[in-house]
This record gives sequence, C-alpha cells and structure tokens, in this order.
Amino acid sequence: MDYLVTVLLPQLLHGLVFGAALGLLALGLTVIFGLLGVMNFAHGELFMMGAYAGVAVIGLTGSFWIALLAAPLIVGVIAAFTEAATLRPLYRREPLYGLILTFGLALVFREGIRQIFGGDMRRILPPFTGSTPLLGMTYPDYRLFLLAASSVILLAIWLFFTKTRAGIVVRAAVQDAEMLDGLGVDVRRVFTLTFAGSAALAALAGMLLAPVFTVYPYMGVEMILLAFIVVILGGMGSMGGSVVAAFAIGITQSLFSLWMNPQRVAIAIFGIMLIVLIVRPRGFFGREGVLE
Amino acid sequence: MKRLTWFVLFLAVAVSAVWVAAPAMSQSKVVKIGDLGSKVGVFEGYGKYQTMMMQMAVDELNAKGGVLGHKIEMISEDDDTKPAPAVRKAEKLILQDDVKLIVGAVSSGSTMAVMDVTRKHKTIHWNSVSCAEFMRTTKFHKYYFSNQPDSRMQANGLAKYMVDKMGRKVYIFYTDYAMGQSDGRQFKTALEKLGGEVVGVAGAPMDTKDFSPWFGAINQSGADVLFLAFAGADSLRLMTQLHSFGMTKKYRLAGIDCFLLQQDLQAIAEPMEGFVQLAHYSAYNPDKNMQAFNAKFKKRYNVDGNIMAGAYDAVLFWAAAAEKAKSFDADKVAAAQEGMCLDNTHIGRQCIRKEDHQVVMDMHLYQVKGGKNLPIATLKGKDTIGEPMVGKDPVEGFTWELKKKL
Repeated sequence: MDYLVTVLLPQLLHGLVFGAALGLLALGLTVIFGLLGVMNFAHGELFMMGAYAGVAVIGLTGSFWIALLAAPLIVGVIAAFTEAATLRPLYRREPLYGLILTFGLALVFREGIRQIFGGDMRRILPPFTGSTPLLGMTYPDYRLFLLAASSVILLAIWLFFTKTRAGIVVRAAVQDAEMLDGLGVDVRRVFTLTFAGSAALAALAGMLLAPVFTVYPYMGVEMILLAFIVVILGGMGSMGGSVVAAFAIGITQSLFSLWMNPQRVAIAIFGIMLIVLIVRPRGFFGREGVLE
Repeated sequence: MKRLTWFVLFLAVAVSAVWVAAPAMSQSKVVKIGDLGSKVGVFEGYGKYQTMMMQMAVDELNAKGGVLGHKIEMISEDDDTKPAPAVRKAEKLILQDDVKLIVGAVSSGSTMAVMDVTRKHKTIHWNSVSCAEFMRTTKFHKYYFSNQPDSRMQANGLAKYMVDKMGRKVYIFYTDYAMGQSDGRQFKTALEKLGGEVVGVAGAPMDTKDFSPWFGAINQSGADVLFLAFAGADSLRLMTQLHSFGMTKKYRLAGIDCFLLQQDLQAIAEPMEGFVQLAHYSAYNPDKNMQAFNAKFKKRYNVDGNIMAGAYDAVLFWAAAAEKAKSFDADKVAAAQEGMCLDNTHIGRQCIRKEDHQVVMDMHLYQVKGGKNLPIATLKGKDTIGEPMVGKDPVEGFTWELKKKL
C-alpha cells in the first residue's frame, strides 16, 4: 500500500500530466498530417514559439493568464500567414516538398527566435506555486492544473470535431478535400484555419509546459520527437489514436523510470514504436493504407 | 646662433624619437591573462563571478605597478559550457592574444578539454571551480594548478558528517557529466568505507528541465539522506521541484561545494532550509580574512563574494610566482608556483602542494538557515586533501553496483 501511494501513484500522475500535454502537441500534428498529407517538421517550433510569445506577453502585462490566451492567438496568426505564403503553393505537389519546406521553416523559426530573444534560458513562473496533499503524497498544484486544463482542452477539441458543423467540415476536408470543394466549401480557408488552429494548439501546449520545462530555443526539438512517435503509434491522421498514444507514452515513460534511468527510457520508447510498426504498421487506430 | 640651431635640431629629433617609440614601449609593458568560462547558460553565475574576482585582483596588482613592471590586461571568453568551444577559445587566448595565464573553465568537462590545450602550448592554467577528480590525477600536467576542492577532498570532508549526523542510507543523485560522475564515484566509495549504505544512484543530464521522472526511484529507495551533486541553474530547478513534491521535508539533504552560489540562496530559501553543504566560502563565516575579503568585494561590486574567490587567489599566485621567477616563462612560473605559499589570499595563508599542484585549503560545512549559509564545522585542508595520486585512479576498481546491506 505504501509503495502504491508513495511510488506508483505519483509516477502515474507524472505520466498523465505529461501525456495530456503531449496529446495537445500531437493532436495538432496529426490534424495537419491528415489534412495536408505532410508531417509538419516545424510543429515543435510552433510549440516553442508559444512559450516565447508567453514570455513576451508576460513581460508586457505581467499576467500569466493573459499570456495563456494571447500566446496561441499570436502563434495562430503567424501560422496562418505562413500557410498562405509557403505551404499553399505546394498542396498539389509530392509530400516531399512539404516535408522539406517545414524542415526549413523550423530552422527559420528557431533562429528567428534566437535572434529576437537570445539563446539564454527563460523562465515563466507558474501562477500558483503551492502543493496539495493528495492520497498521502504531495503533488504540485500547477501540475494538477496542467492535467485538468489539458484534459478539458482535449475534450473540447473532441466535441468540436464531432458536434460542431465547423469540425465536421474539417473532418470532411481530411477525408476528401476535392469533394468538399465541389460542394461549394472554401477549402483553402478551411486549410488555413485548420493549420492556424493546430499551431495555436501547439503554442498552448508550449505555454502550459513552460513553467515546468523552462523556455529555450531548442525546447521544441526535444518534444517533437515524442510527438512524432505518438502520431505514428496512434495511427497517422487518427486524432483519437494520438490522444490514446500520448497518454500511453506518458504513463509508460513515467513507470519505466522506476526501473531504469529516465535517460534510457527514451530508447525503450523507440523500441516499443519499432515493435508496433512491425506488428501493426498503421498504428493503434490508423486507417489501412495511410502509411503506404 | 649656430649652437642654438643644433640644440633645437637635437631637441626636435629627441622628442620625435620618444613620440615614435612611446606606443611600442607601452605595448611591451603589457602582459595578458585569460578568463575562460561560462558567461551564459546553466553555469553563467560562476563564470560571471570568476570575471569579477579576476578583475579585482588585476586592478589591485596594476595599482601596485603590475607584474615585473608590466600592466596586466585581462581578456574574457565564453565557452558556452561546452568542451569544443572551450578548446577553441583557449587556443585563441594562447595563440592570438598571447596570454600567459588561463583561469578556467567552469564546467569540469570544459576544464579537462582545456587542459590538453594548456599542456600542448605550455601555458599556466588555474582551475578555481571545476570539481572533477581527474584533473589532479589522470589528466594532470605540470602547468595545471587548482584551488578548487575536488570530489575526493569533498568526499573526505562531507561523507563522514553525513553518515554520523544525517543518516546511513544515502541516495546519490548527480549531474551526468564529468563533475557529477566524479562526485558520485568519490562519495559512493567514501560512504561505503565509512559504513554507510548507498541505496540508489542516478544521473540526470546537465541542464535537465524536469527532474520528476527520477523522483519515483528516489522515493522507493528507502533513503534517509539525499546527496545532490548538481550546480548552477540545475540545482535551482532541482530544489524547486523537490520542494514542490514534498521531498525537501521527507529527506535530509546534502550537496557539493559548488551546488549553489551564495546569491541564489535567498531566492529558494524555503526549499534549501536545513541543507548541508560543504563549501570553501560563505559571507557568514566569521573568519577574519574571509570577512575582510568579503567586505572588500562588497564595497566594489555591492554584492557578497562567493566560492569564485579562488579566481582572485589564482591571479595573485601567478603574479607572485612570476615575480619570484623574474619571468613569464611558463616553465619557470610553474616551478616557482610549486610549493609556494601566499599570505594575502581570500582566507589568508594558503600553500600549493608540490606533488599535484593542489592548494591545501580549509573548508567548512554550512547549513542553510533562513537563506543564509551558516558554518557548522571546519575541515582542515591536511585532513581532506588525501595522498597525491598523479597518474593514478584514486578509486580504482570502482563500480556503480549497489551493495545492499542485509
């Protein structure tokens, strides 16, 4: 019982907290893949830019909460312009073009941020610093908030895609953009708004995780690898799959840390991905043929 | 009239000659020294204070006429806390700037890399903060000197206190590069020798942002004491996170010499309450020499001094050795420094041991109370320095394997 409360339960909570935040990041990535057929290599940088936008807004207003609202908006607007200016002309080309473009965008965003803010590490202080006694252990309030906020946002996104007309239009665009175009829907606008929305989601994840991880130009590079694994495991283009895989990876990573050095857990996660890809190439919930 | 013409002509030639030669004469009266270390990033605090300490020593020496009639000029370089840039900057300092002394770097990994450069180019090299034991053992060379207590000295000083006063079951958590690995090796060996039990060891990469994945293993280890071998921003983050998970109250905490700078303590006074740290400097140490030095430093920079005071001493040792050798030649200065004693260091008289060029220094155990590092015990330098072991591994046959006690 003692082991459960003092060891297993906190690790499980770590996994849930990290999994929820990872889910936010991976969801945007999988939506962009589903919609554009492109693995967005710049997604980690959009995550990082969210944190830096937060640093800038907090510098101006002093408020974490204003920054939490403003950072996704700022990054969303930047992403909308980027999509219109760079990605749109490539939609009818081979996926490789999009891949190379987003790789280039990642470099531009990262170095741009470094030029503006410098390479130093920045900190965003959590809006509350206390801890809560929970089932015999102590857990930081901010991490509990992170879990709750991420879960609510994930639920809201699910409701958006399943219950609203706009969400259904996006899903239809993911399924068959040409048919949607034929039905009179402005598909270009749908693409731009979806890309901007996915970027805003990444930025929100960046802003929420900033008080835990601190802010630095390479923070997106470290996260995006895991987000790619989540998307592959969940099934390329499957939103539900991404959320399930994010929680699975978060919890696996956390529990494995009990028995091996967390530095080696990353290798184990890659091993799991390899096995899943060999046994079930389309991932947990992917449609057959997506990867082919 | 003819005589007057000749006199005026002579005067004009003499004045011109002096005017032409003056810059060259003044240039030949400058000797350069290099300040190498982290000026930004995880260890920036140490690097910035190193610069301040060295500058204070340089200004004091220049006010007294410099060294061998030469004005000292200091050149500072940032190594980005990485060995490769540290090597490039050290080569730049030696080959381009012609420095006669390098103080640095900050991280042990960088310092060891710089040692290869200073050995190759025969340049006096002082280390005033890097803790890894390898520098005065397997990596040692004749131009290298240190006034930073290394892992072995720290383990000799702190491990006994931990076992006697804090608890026998110790979990060692270290930063996974040269310094932390060295601390882990030395402390594990010392603790086991003293009858303590190391119930767990784990390393986290330098500049880790979230330490919580390691906390589960610590909590299941059954430790009484959590020994932490981290430094700089890593220590700040780790302590904040340990505190938010209730672990600063659950365990007795101890840490290494460079765990945190004096200045950082106030910001995390609550998480650090009760923390036992071995260190060779505290503004709250009543030692009259340390107090006098601290007052001097504070008057100049409006802030308390810290463990980087060793960089101040390093410049003084080098200058005194150059005066003694009557030369800036590295071989002669190195020979003069061997066994040298100096009375005006930040803690008064200190001597360099001839065999491994380590300064024999008294250290103190401090306990943090209300954000202040208060002394609780003094450790004599002769008791902690250990035998000279140039070219040997002090913990040969070491293994990270845990020896569980029944």
